[in-house]
Order: sequence, then C-alpha cells, then structure tokens
Amino acid sequence: MRLRVDGKEVEVQEGALLLQVAPVPTLCHHPHTETKGLCRLCLVEVNGRLHPACATLAQEGMEVKTETEALRRLRKTLLEWLALTTDLSQAPELLSLMERYGAEPARWPEVAGRKEREALKDNPFFLRDYAKCVNCRRCVDACGDGIMGVYALTLEDRGLLAHPTTPLGRPLPETPCVFCGNCVQVCPTGALRPLTLEVA
Amino acid sequence: MRTTCPYCGVGCQVEPEVQGGRVVRVLAPDIPPNHGALCVKGRFGLDFPFSGKRLLYPMVRESRDAPFRRATWEEALDFAAEKLLEVLRRKGPEAIAVFPSAKTTNEEVYLAQKLARALLGTHNVDHCSRLCHSSSTAALSRSLGGASMTNPIEDIWKTDLFLVVGSNTTETHPVIAAMIKKRVRQGARMIVVDPRYTGMAEAATLWLRVRPGTDLFLLNAMARYVLEAGLWDRAYVEARTEGFAEWRASLEEYTLERAEAVTGVEREKIALAARLYATTERAGAYWAMGVTQHTKGTATAQALVNLALLTGKVGKEGAGLNPLRGQNNVQGAGDMGALPDVYPGYLKVADEAARKRFEALWGVPLNPKPGLRMTEVFAAIPEVEAIYLIGEDPVTSEPYQDHLKAKLSALPFLLVQDILENETTPFAHVILPAASFLEKEGTFTNTDRRVQRVRKLLDPPGEARPDWWITQELGKRLARALDRPWREYPGPEAIWEEVRQAIPELMGGISYARLEAEGVRWPCPFEDHPGEAVLFRERFNTPSGRARFFPAPYTPPAEPPSEEYPFTLSTGRVLFHWHGGTLSRNSRLKEAYPELKVEVNPKDAERLGLQDGEPIYVVSRRGRIRARAWVTERTPEGVVYAPFHFAEVPANRLTLDALDPVSRIPEYKVSAVRLEKVD
Ligand code: SF4
Ligand code: SF4
Ligand code: SF4
Ligand code: FES
Repeated sequence: MRLRVDGKEVEVQEGALLLQVAPVPTLCHHPHTETKGLCRLCLVEVNGRLHPACATLAQEGMEVKTETEALRRLRKTLLEWLALTTDLSQAPELLSLMERYGAEPARWPEVAGRKEREALKDNPFFLRDYAKCVNCRRCVDACGDGIMGVYALTLEDRGLLAHPTTPLGRPLPETPCVFCGNCVQVCPTGALRPLTLEVA
Repeated sequence: MRTTCPYCGVGCQVEPEVQGGRVVRVLAPDIPPNHGALCVKGRFGLDFPFSGKRLLYPMVRESRDAPFRRATWEEALDFAAEKLLEVLRRKGPEAIAVFPSAKTTNEEVYLAQKLARALLGTHNVDHCSRLCHSSSTAALSRSLGGASMTNPIEDIWKTDLFLVVGSNTTETHPVIAAMIKKRVRQGARMIVVDPRYTGMAEAATLWLRVRPGTDLFLLNAMARYVLEAGLWDRAYVEARTEGFAEWRASLEEYTLERAEAVTGVEREKIALAARLYATTERAGAYWAMGVTQHTKGTATAQALVNLALLTGKVGKEGAGLNPLRGQNNVQGAGDMGALPDVYPGYLKVADEAARKRFEALWGVPLNPKPGLRMTEVFAAIPEVEAIYLIGEDPVTSEPYQDHLKAKLSALPFLLVQDILENETTPFAHVILPAASFLEKEGTFTNTDRRVQRVRKLLDPPGEARPDWWITQELGKRLARALDRPWREYPGPEAIWEEVRQAIPELMGGISYARLEAEGVRWPCPFEDHPGEAVLFRERFNTPSGRARFFPAPYTPPAEPPSEEYPFTLSTGRVLFHWHGGTLSRNSRLKEAYPELKVEVNPKDAERLGLQDGEPIYVVSRRGRIRARAWVTERTPEGVVYAPFHFAEVPANRLTLDALDPVSRIPEYKVSAVRLEKVD
C-alpha cells in the first residue's frame, strides 16, 4: 500500500495506523491500553480533512499532511489549554512539546482548572494527584479492557469537567483495585505516581 | 537497567530505578513475557533487599546451644567444609543433603548440585518444587517425557477455551491471569474448576465448584463422558499415544451420576465442560497447586494429561498442558538438576550414559544411586546428619511445622545460606549471607521455559556475596580436602557456558549475548535456533515417541472432616504475599496485607456466631493458630481458607504430612480443622 506523507511517498502494510507513518505528537494513545482518539494532539490532515493519526487506518493513495500551519496552531492551542488547567510540572514530554509549538498559556484568561485539586493518598503504593491529570484515559483503559480487566477506575463527567475517578469515588482499597500499578506506568503526566518518589 | 522479577514464575521483565539505597520506581519494558504489565509484587514489592533483616556477615556457632558469633568468610567456610567432611567420612555421602533454591539463578543451582554430586558424592539434592509441582512433574514426565508447560505464554492469545483447574491465577500469576481474562473478553471461553470463588471463577464462562480434593473424580468423569459421547480424537489417540485400552477400562466407575455425588457439581455442568473442552480445537489446560498439593496430586495431574491426550490437545498452538510454576526459577532449578533422580537436563541419575556424560565433564566418578527427596531427607534426620540449605525456609514451607522443627533440632549440622533472617535460620550452625537478585548476575527460567537475564544493579550490603561465589568457595575447600577436581569460574557467565556444554540439546544455543535483548526459550540446541515455543508437535520425548495414558484412580483425601474437626482447611497464597512471606513481608507489600485472615463462609460464620474480622483459633490435630475471620462467599460452606505467609501464625502448623505416593508432595490443600472463638 502506498500513500504520501508530507509529499513523500511511503509504503505500509494493510492495517497500519497513520501514526506509524506520520510521526506526530501523541498524548492519549497507548498501544497496551488501546487508548486512542481522545486528546486530538495527533490530528493530521488527510485529503484536506482532519483525522486522529492514532485512530485512523492508512489507506492506499492517502495524501497526509502532518505539520500544516493550521495543525501547528491547533496543537499550540491544545497544549496551552492543558497548561492552563493542569499542573504539567511532571510531564516532561508535554513541556517540551509546548516549547516546540511555542505555546503561551498566558495569552488566555485564567480558568478554574483542576490545578487546585488535592492529591489523594488512600493506599500504600501510589498517589492520585489529579491536579496533574490531562484526562487522557490511559489509566482507565489499563485498569479495564486494555490490560487488567478489574475496572477500579472510570471517567466521570464530560468535556472540561471530565476526570478519572473510582466507582462512587471510593478509596482505592475499597474498589477491585489490585495495585498492579499498570495505571501508574501508563500515566503520562505524573498524576499517578509511586509514593516512593515522594519521600526522596 | 532491565532484570527479571524475583517473585513468581511468570518471569516479568522489570526496570527498577534504584536511588540512595532504595527502589524508587519500577517500570516494565515492552518485551515478552509481560509486555509492560506487572502485578503488585513486581511493581511495589522489590524493596526487600533493603530490609533490616538482611544477613550481613557470616556467622558460626559450635553447637545449637551456643550463641552465634560473627566470623570472617575464611573461618565460616573452613568451618562449614570441615563439618561436611566430617559427616562424609564418618557416615558416607547419603548422610548429607544439598538443597539449592528455586529463587537462586540457574548458574547457582547448577553449581550447588554439582558440588553435591561431584564432590560430596550424594544425589540427595532437591528444592522446594517438591512441595508445589512435583506431582505435575511426575505425571508429565512419565506420559510425555517432559515436565514443563507445553505451550508458551503468548499462546494465550490463540486459545479459544481455557480449562483452569486448581489455580488462583489472578493472585498467584497475576500477569498471566490478566492476559487470560483479556482473551476471554475477546470472546474465548473459560472453564474454572475450583472450590473457591476466585478472580478466575468470577471471569469464567463456567465455574465448577468442586468439593476440595475431588477434582480428580471430575476430570475422570469428563474423560468418560467424552469417550461415551464419541467426542474424542480417535486419529490422534491412534497415531500419537499408547496405553489407551488399559486406561479406558479404568474409567468404568466415573459416571456423571457418581461424579455429581462425589464432587458436588451438577452432572449437566460436568457434561457441558467436557463437551466444550473436547470440541474446541484450541483448548489449553492450566493448573497449579490446587491440583498438585494432594495425596493424589500425581493422579490428578495425570487425569488432566489423559483428558488432553484423549482430545488431541498436546503439540498444538493455543492448546497444551500448562502447569503454572510458582517460584521465579522453579523451572530452572529443575532444568539445572536440583532433583534427586536426575542430572541437569533431566538426564536420569540411574542411566549409565548420563552418568558417563557428567563423569567426563566433571572429571570424577559419580554415585549411580538416586538420592532422597526433600520430604524424605527431613524424615531421615538424624540418619541424615548434614544439610546445606540455600535460599529455602522449610520451617515455614514444610507441612506439620512442629514435627519439622523437632527434626531440625535433632540435625547435627545445618548450613544456611540466605539473604534474610527467617524461621529456619535459628536452627543453623553456620549462616552465610547471600546477595539478593538486585546484587548479582545470572539467569532465571520462567514458567514457559524462557531463560532470562538477572542483572546486577547494586553491590551487596555488608559482606554478603552471591550464592555462586559462596558455593564455589565451599567447593574449593571440599575439593582440596577430598583431592577431587573443582573448576573455578570467574563469574556466572562461565558457569552458564558449562551448562551449555553439559546439556547442548536444551541450552546449546542460549548465550548471554543472545539474552541481552530478550529471553530465549529452551530447547534451543544451536545459536541461530529461535527456541522452541510449542513442544511435542511431532513426537513426544518418550522412547517410543508416543505419549502414554496412565490410569488415575480417585482416592478421597487423607484426612476427611470429622465431628471434632468438621471443616476442611485449604491453604494457599494471597495477591500481596509470597510463600513464607520472607520477601514480601519485608517489603512495602506488608502494609497492604498486614495480618492473617482466614476465609469463612457466611453460613458457617452464622452457625458459629462469628463476626467478620473477629479473632478466632483454627485448630487441627497437629496444632492451633490464631487468625482473624474474613466472612466471605469466596470460600464454600464447610471449607476455611488460610494463606500460609505468616510465620508467626503459620498455617503449616495445621497441615498434615500425608504424602502423594509418587511425588512425595504433602497434602496441603485438605486437612480437618475446627474453629474456636477467642474469649
Ligand atoms: S493499580 Fe489499581 S487502579 Fe491501577 S490499573 Fe491496577 S487495578 Fe487498576
Ligand atoms: S491520571 Fe494519568 S493516565 Fe489517568 S487520565 Fe489522568 S493523565 Fe491520563
Ligand atoms: S506476575 Fe509474577 S513475575 Fe510478574 S510482576 Fe507479578 S510476581 Fe513478578
Ligand atoms: S494521541 Fe491520537 S488522539 Fe490522542
């Protein structure tokens, strides 16, 4: 199968994702948790329309653009909004993306973000510090269908209010959580992190 | 840096970050077998090497009543060698036993058994899998000529039906359980045979709640039903097996009616399970201690083997016979010859060709007589006078603890080599401090035969040394006194090179260089061989090349409940702990599960007037322990379940030492107990 990415011809196997040929920044996508298509950071232009590269199959003859001016602006804005609402201090990859796209969160008015949320410490192993959470959903998927199948985490509310939590907001030890830490491993922002990192 | 999890046989790859004398984080790389996933033990339980209970200096005492005194390595090793030699001269090799450990590396096990066989002249060599999978080993070896999982872990993704018998997989092999459960979410079916409502039972398509110790009857009844219904694989049985007619005749009494009466499972369910298993092309059987730890453990494993052969499930992708090994290196310890009747590579001690091979390699004459198994060694004290114990804690893990303690007190010489103080160290005469998995190089072999690297991230604390170094030093001293050859190895890789040379048919192609990227599965006879995933595709490893059916007659458990002891006690593990708890209870894991809880069914609790969380005594004919009642439907009426991780309230004080006649495994899963209120 042949397609063009930023003007260059590339060859891929049937069933490949656009992400595999179009290197763009990602946030929510994770191969093990099977999370994809949520954060929109990986949008690319295909024959003039926008598609998430992490959730779109490559097709014969596609004309893919990964870095148009519009896409750059979009990523810049997305990152600014993330920075506005969320504490990204422990998300080095997002911080360097902000630099790359010249993000200036200060150009927006202040929003009542989640930065003020207090970290939850309800178990001996890890913190849930949702002030740093970007709602990528990876933890929810790692816990549920993607890896563990224990469903101790869910996503509540929609849009800007969306946030991961436990069923009925119970402390983790009162949920089916088995403390495998797979949610911690896939969390890209340090919102979930081992307690051992704290006492240093 | 990448290394291998030291807890269970899944053999997950881990990348611990060590800083300032602690493990600050553990991530998992995206390679087999775990592909980035871990369980709580690998993720948060790797800090036991920093425990205050680490043994830091060699210690010696002249008699059991004397206090330990700190000694130099020279002194301690000289003293230990002298003691062993003294017993050897006076009572001969049979009075000495060496127990390598399924927690140490392949290289270390190889060296320890070599020391026993080549220097001390004894085959009294064994390890803790005697207590977990020896019955699987016995059944699989005699039927198929091999005793490991026949299929790789990745085959889970190709399996359409899982038959899980006596395995609390979600707690004992959590990463494999997560894979199986995911495959079930993708549409595969799962039949779970277990008295308890485990995480697997919860995820099952069909759960058969057998009465404890009756799964053998159920499996035989399934086989009989498959035959009667004409669902068996005639072509497979004719082409690839033998002993069929004799075995078939042995199934007469296992009707569905009787099975229902014995097992407590409705006959329709048994028939459905049999039908599903027989008619699904890619059906894999998985089992663990619920099958093996019985006086009929070998027979039950055999019944699984028979059922799989009858329906043509062995030697195929996505199917097979898959005993889940417990300790991180149980597979390797067996492969390296930590067994009384075989050399490395499962070559029979009694076989002359095998003896010649090792005589040539080691340059010494070898004893033609197989040795004693671990349980037999303990029973033979004080005839057996000296034991060299590496990384094992029999006081916690052996059955009928009080009896074992009496035996150990009567043992003239006990040499203990370990990383942490445990329940057995007080019985020692010499204690040698060993390095933990974070502090040495080597390999472990996981449950699906994958040889994987263990890498040194830290220096050992105090004067602790890697097990291979200690064994080598001890060997040097014995060799000098006995005037026998003893090769000195610069490090684990050199030992591994000798293993490759010793058993090229299994390990010949597995070099350390190849293991850099990821593990390699044996058999792997040469360097560009990929390693065998599915065993027995064309022929079995028996003399005839065919697999053999063996009758597997049902016998009831050795100690049925009585008026005085009306409950059946089953022992096992919980997610947060590991075996005797020596490792896990010296890690962060202890906070998540601090004390012993005994599962009691709500109906029984009501009858006895027990509240959830109430302290109780569990009493058997052999002793009593105090625990907290956990009132839960997980355990059926009439059964109580106790994890055995808590040395201060050891469940094994209650268990009996009735043994399987073939494998000598104790019946941990069934003992009669009563519950008493604490006033
Ligand atoms: S640690 Fe708990 S919440 Fe996180 S993935 Fe594991 S089970 Fe789910
Ligand atoms: S906690 Fe982490 S993994 Fe979960 S949604 Fe938030 S950022 Fe994503
Ligand atoms: S499943 Fe086993 S090997 Fe994997 S992390 Fe857990 S204990 Fe370690
Ligand atoms: S990475 Fe593709 S939408 Fe998030």
